[in-house]
Amino acid sequence: MEVAPPLFSPAAEDFSSLLRRQGLYPAAPQIHGGPQANLPHTEATTILAFKFEDGVLVAGDRRATAGNVVVYDRADKVLEIDRHSLMAIAGVPATAWEMARVLEHSFQFYRRSQLQEMSLDGKVRALSKLLRDNFGFVMQGVGIVVPIFATYDAAGDSARLYFYDAMGAQFEAADYAATGSGSPSVRSVLYYENTWGKKALRKMTQSEAVITALRALDTAAEADTATGGVDRRGKSYPIIKIVSKSGITTLPEKTLAAIYKTKIK
Amino acid sequence: MIEEPYRWVEAIGNRREYIEHQLAAGSPIACLAYKDGILLFTLSRERQKIFEIYDRIAMGAIGHPGDIERLRMAAIEVASTEGFTRSAQDVSLRRLANYSLSPALKTAFEQVYGAPYLARMIFAELGRGDDANLFVRLDYDGSIHTNGGMLYRGFENFGVISGTQHSTSQMEKFLKGQDFADSDLKHALSVALDAWIVGHLTAGSDTQDELPAPDKIASHRREQLASAVIEAAVLERSSNLPITYRALAGDDLASLQKAKN
Repeated sequence: MEVAPPLFSPAAEDFSSLLRRQGLYPAAPQIHGGPQANLPHTEATTILAFKFEDGVLVAGDRRATAGNVVVYDRADKVLEIDRHSLMAIAGVPATAWEMARVLEHSFQFYRRSQLQEMSLDGKVRALSKLLRDNFGFVMQGVGIVVPIFATYDAAGDSARLYFYDAMGAQFEAADYAATGSGSPSVRSVLYYENTWGKKALRKMTQSEAVITALRALDTAAEADTATGGVDRRGKSYPIIKIVSKSGITTLPEKTLAAIYKTKIK
Repeated sequence: MIEEPYRWVEAIGNRREYIEHQLAAGSPIACLAYKDGILLFTLSRERQKIFEIYDRIAMGAIGHPGDIERLRMAAIEVASTEGFTRSAQDVSLRRLANYSLSPALKTAFEQVYGAPYLARMIFAELGRGDDANLFVRLDYDGSIHTNGGMLYRGFENFGVISGTQHSTSQMEKFLKGQDFADSDLKHALSVALDAWIVGHLTAGSDTQDELPAPDKIASHRREQLASAVIEAAVLERSSNLPITYRALAGDDLASLQKAKN
């Protein structure tokens, strides 16, 4: 073990640079010339998130595909990063899960070493930095990730929702965000509901929000082969997680099954 | 010359004496296992002494703040990289203390041209499931004292550090006579405070083998609570998150604060 030299700057060592120093984190390949392959324009999945009365709801289908082949129907694309933050992913799972892992450890490492919680802006920026570091891989035609980040801001007492592009630009969403190949239809559904529906998304109760999310996912699965629907026999339902002031809750399968039976089909 | 063996021994001896002298005034830290987990407890005046290291590991330290900080960072780095590259389940206090920290401390202590670490640490690890809790005392020279688990010796359900050897053993003696394994946090806090008082009272003298009398503990307790600040944290079994560390604040400490008046 090597004891680190004295640190005078709190920014001197974040977790990913610690990993890099120890040779535990792959450096992104250098970009020479133009793109090495045709860049993928779609990320095969559907993720959506919107703000409602109690916080933010994040939902994702469970299908993982490779080209035309369905590889897995229980993929978990909505990942818990800490007590109040969720990252939902569209893109290459290997990169995305690794990113989520780095992010989770970064926040904890920061809290433990600096003896304070990382600020909301710091967390949002941390994901942005990981995406930028990954861009070399994206240009090679592998490893594209387009995430959504949902969190509850304790200081401002409000839910916050961000979406990113593959280069790491972050955008704060006012009401809703969607990513993945099924996102165009989901975005249409959410826009319609929010503007002309019975209730604006923000005013919805939790059960109304859940029904809206499941219907939107069902709409996406109708036209997009890469988005999984519901498999009642296999008991595979979409994943819905809610970030609120009290933390993160995952909707149990039973609840989802009941809602499907009565409200969806 | 220092290259001669007996000079080296002498240099080490001087160094030990110097460090012990520096540590002697350190505020004791008591860690004990109660019904819901592990409590780490001290009274402090200026700076934080109890820290989270990883999901189930916490640390308390006395010594020079600069040295404590370097060792704390090293422990967090080792635990975090292990937890990241393998898994959180693979992070263990036994390995952290034996393979990482102890050799580094010993090397620094015995290289007489360099500076040693002025620190004495107590680590606590919350056992998984039915596994026993582990308490490890790690000294500036790399020596390790654990709470047992060897042949013919059960696990003690506490671990302490103090400024002097005598005060440490008096605290241990006191805790051996107390019953807190199945108690709630409130009782555990009270026992931990008394253990701290015993450590504090016995830090000055090496001679007295008797534990301080209960009424002396009680009066000293009132005096100390009036001027010092309680610092305490728990590793909680009931946590539904992987992270079990929680610093105690206001509500949790109210029972001790009431005793103040």
